[in-house]
Amino acid sequence: MKLDPRTKLFMIFVVSLVVMMSATTPFLWAIRLSITLIPIILLITEKKYASALRFLLAYGTALVLTFYFLSAESEGLIASLLIGYCGIVVQFMPALITAWYVVRTTKIGEFMSCMQKMHIPDGIAVSLAVVMRFFPTIKEEYSSINDAMRMRGVMLGGGNVLKMVEFRMIPLLFSCVNIGEELSAAAITRGLGGEAKRSSVVELKLGVADYLLMTFLTAATVIFVMFKYCL
Amino acid sequence: MEKTSNKLKAKDFITIGIFTAILFAVEFAFGMLGYIHPFIVAAYVVILPLASGIPMMLFYSKVEKFGMITIVSVLMAIIMFVGGMGYLGAPLIIISGLIADFIAKSGNYKSFKKIIISFGVFNLWICANYFPILVTADSYRQDLIDGGYSAEYVSNLFAAINIKTIGILVVLAFVFGCIGAVLGKAVVKKHFEKAGIV
Repeated sequence: MKLDPRTKLFMIFVVSLVVMMSATTPFLWAIRLSITLIPIILLITEKKYASALRFLLAYGTALVLTFYFLSAESEGLIASLLIGYCGIVVQFMPALITAWYVVRTTKIGEFMSCMQKMHIPDGIAVSLAVVMRFFPTIKEEYSSINDAMRMRGVMLGGGNVLKMVEFRMIPLLFSCVNIGEELSAAAITRGLGGEAKRSSVVELKLGVADYLLMTFLTAATVIFVMFKYCL
Repeated sequence: MEKTSNKLKAKDFITIGIFTAILFAVEFAFGMLGYIHPFIVAAYVVILPLASGIPMMLFYSKVEKFGMITIVSVLMAIIMFVGGMGYLGAPLIIISGLIADFIAKSGNYKSFKKIIISFGVFNLWICANYFPILVTADSYRQDLIDGGYSAEYVSNLFAAINIKTIGILVVLAFVFGCIGAVLGKAVVKKHFEKAGIV
């Protein structure tokens, strides 16, 4: 199943909106869960089974822990760490899963063409596209730096916090700047920043699945807001 | 392509994107610490400016055109929104970015004094994330408890961040922004200018 990037962006918007409002009743939790399940199901249809399972397990564990073992009265170190962990997961996981799904399944060409169709200024669109693509690169570079440091026997920077940050940040910045130069050289040879209006190889069209999903998401949000604030 | 060299070009947009990603990665790495204890959430105003000083100073010297900080703040606002931080702080993030941009522009992006002040103002975006805690205090407290936080965590959080302390936090964000700028500049000088990257 292939979704239009616009639908995906709308999904991010809806999920972030719902995540922000906390669910207080079982019914609201049900809506929130079903909204969380959508990106997971979409991941499965894209044949990304491993990540779908991983997200499902992490989210499920956190939910079970939150509801059955932890309460507002829990105290002690382990409990507070667990609460912290579950708090992050329950709160931010839905947005994370959706964002991950969108980043992994949207080609940069599709994304740019979608941004053009929505009349987003070029500056924002290009920067946002770079941000989207750059997180995995940062992670990769960071782990290479860590490997290199381990090879040289530099573990934590001698316990000096400033050095710890410096040892990691400087090489990371060096490689990121270099990658940036390469990236912009590549983009400019492909006509980015030219005066003519760029055309796109990808033709975007909203299909039945897009409309269905958008309707469902809108309905879920409206119901959520109504039940939370009006009843 | 634009004739005037002080307009942003495609290359600059890519640089902006990269530094936004780095800035967010730094913010995210240190932000996770906040789940250990709520006082760390309040201490973001000290930690984040110091940590992000290095990349941001490099960024200031890489682009030097009007709009660079504004776009970063718009992107940060979008990322914060997607990350579930809420829409209340987003306009404030963009406003602080815009003001920071104007300040740096008045020094032509060369004057280091102006850059220090500009980075100090830019760091007020951290306070923008405290905004929901202040404005919707009561419902937010309930939201957090329902959301699975312990009562202890929440009451500590509200003890650290409230109407009375926000003034101090804003000043701290600004002051440590300035300190972060000076430190960052020193590091950039030490490593990058020697290597000829800037």
